[in-house]
Amino acid sequence: MKTNELTWALLILVIVLLAFILPYTVLANVTKWYGSFLLWIALALITIIMNYFLTKNWGKK
Amino acid sequence: MTTSLVWWAISIYVLLALVIAFLSRTGKQHNMESYFLGDRKMGGFVSALSYSATTYSAFMLVGLAGLTYSGGVGALGFELIYLMGVSLVAFFGPRFWVVGKKYGYVTPSEMLGDRYDNKYVAIVVAVTNCLFLIPYSAVQLSGVGYLLQGVTNNAIPYTTGVLIATLLAIVFTYIAGIRSVAWTDSLQALFMIVSSTVVVLILVNGLGGFTTFFETIETTQPELLTVPGNGFFSFLTFLGLTIPWFFFSLSNPQVSQRLYMPASLKSLKNMLMGFLVFGFIYTFVAIIWGYSAAIMFPNLENADLATPLVLSSELVPPVLGVIVMVGIMAAAISTIDSILLTLSSLFAKDVYGNIKKNTSDRLQLRVGKIVIPIIALLAYLFAEMQLNLIAVLSVASSAGLIVVVPAIIGTFFWKRGSAAGVLSSVLVAGIIVILLEFFQVKPFGLASGLWGIGISTILFIGVSLLTKAPEAKANEFLTYIRQALKKES
Repeated sequence: MKTNELTWALLILVIVLLAFILPYTVLANVTKWYGSFLLWIALALITIIMNYFLTKNWGKK
Repeated sequence: MTTSLVWWAISIYVLLALVIAFLSRTGKQHNMESYFLGDRKMGGFVSALSYSATTYSAFMLVGLAGLTYSGGVGALGFELIYLMGVSLVAFFGPRFWVVGKKYGYVTPSEMLGDRYDNKYVAIVVAVTNCLFLIPYSAVQLSGVGYLLQGVTNNAIPYTTGVLIATLLAIVFTYIAGIRSVAWTDSLQALFMIVSSTVVVLILVNGLGGFTTFFETIETTQPELLTVPGNGFFSFLTFLGLTIPWFFFSLSNPQVSQRLYMPASLKSLKNMLMGFLVFGFIYTFVAIIWGYSAAIMFPNLENADLATPLVLSSELVPPVLGVIVMVGIMAAAISTIDSILLTLSSLFAKDVYGNIKKNTSDRLQLRVGKIVIPIIALLAYLFAEMQLNLIAVLSVASSAGLIVVVPAIIGTFFWKRGSAAGVLSSVLVAGIIVILLEFFQVKPFGLASGLWGIGISTILFIGVSLLTKAPEAKANEFLTYIRQALKKES
C-alpha cells in the first residue's frame, strides 16, 4: 500500500470509529435532529469527499 | 390503490424494461467474459447505476424504513456506516481490476483459487457464496410478494408477486447476460431514486415541512432520534448489524465481480463516486420514509407494514404511490437478477470448471445458462416457505459471506496467506455462522457476523502461519499489481 493510500485509509478509519462512538456517548441524550442524525450524515459526506480525493487521479495516465 | 392500477403500472414497467433489455444486446455473448463481464468494457455511468440497483434492494424502502420506524436513527447510522465501508472499493477496486485484466478472472472466487494456488479454494468459496446468497435472493422475492399483497389488500396474492419477480429476474438475465442486467438495472435505479425522492418530498411537505416534521418527532417520539433510543439499537445489536455490511462491497460477489467490468480506471472511479452519491440520497430517502410512517401510523405491530401503509395513505396520490411501489419491485428484481447471474458464473467457472476436467469456455457458459433458472427456482421455493422479518434474514446472509473477507484482504496484502488458511477460515467460520443463525443464539451477546469475522480472521492468520504459502504465485501477483498501479496513476 502506498503511503498516500495508507494516510487516507487511516483517516477513513477515524471517521468510521467516530460514527460508532459519538452517537452512543455524547449524543446519546440529544433528542434533536442535530444530534446523531446530523452527525451520521456529516460523517458520510466527509467520507464521500475523501473518496473523491482518493480516486481523483485514477486513469489520468 | 386499486388492483387494476397496480397491474397497469407493472405492465408498463415490464414492457419498458424488456425494450431496454433487448436494446442492450450488442456484441456476441458467446464466451464467459462477454456474458458475465460485458467484455470488461462497461462505462462508468451504467456501472454506477447498475452497482446501485444491485446493492440496494427492496430492503431499503421496506426493511430499512421498518427499522427506522421501530428503532429510529440507528437505522441511518447502520446504513451510512455501510456506505462508508464502500470506501473499500477505493483501495481494492483498482487491484481487482488490474489482476482481472491480466489473468482473465471472471469471478472473485476464481481469483482466490488462482492466487492461493488451490482449486479447492475456488470451489469452497463459490459454494459458500451460493449457500448464503440463495436465501438472500429469496428474501428479495418475498419482499415483492408482501409488497403487492399489502398495497392491493390481498387482491394480488403473495405467491403471484413472488412468481412475477422470479420470472422477471430470469428474463432480464437471459436476454443478454450482464448487458441486459446492467441496462435494466440502470433504468430501475433511476426509477427507484426519482420516484421515492418525489414521494418523500411530498410526505415531508404534507407533514408540515422539514422543521415541523422533525419537531413532531422531537415532541411525540424523541427516542427515535437517539441510539440506543427505545433500546432497539443496543450497541451490540448495532455492531452486529453494521460490521457484516461494512464489508459488503468485498464479501458479496455480485458487487465485487463488478470490479472486473469497467472499461478503464476512470470508469471504475465514476462507478464508485456515482454509487456513493446515489447511496447517500437513497439512504436519506428511506430513513425519512420510515420517520413519516412513524408520524402517520404510530404503534403498528408489524413494522414491515409501514411502507405499504404509507403508500396507500391519503398524502400520497394513488398514481405516485403505485409508481413507487413499482420502484420497490424494481429494486428487488434488479438485485436478484445480478445475484442470479453471478451465482451461475460461480457455479460454471469455479465448481463445474474445476471438478470436471478440460471443460471449454463455451461449455462452461452453457452450464451457467442452465443453472440460472435452477437457482431462481431454489430461491422461489425458499420464498414460498414465507420466512418473514426481511431485515434479519438479509443480515444473516451478509454475516455468512463475511467469512471470506480475511482471505480477500490477504489476496492483496499478505504474502503469507495459504490455501489451508483460506479453506479452514471459510469452512469453520461459515459452519459456525450457520449454526448460530439456525439456533438463534448470540454467545456473549455477539451476533453471528461478529463471530464469523472474528473466527475467520484468527483461523486465516493462524493456519496460514503454520502451513506453506504459495510464495512464487504471491510474489508474481503482488509485484504485477504494484507495477500496473504505478503505470495507471
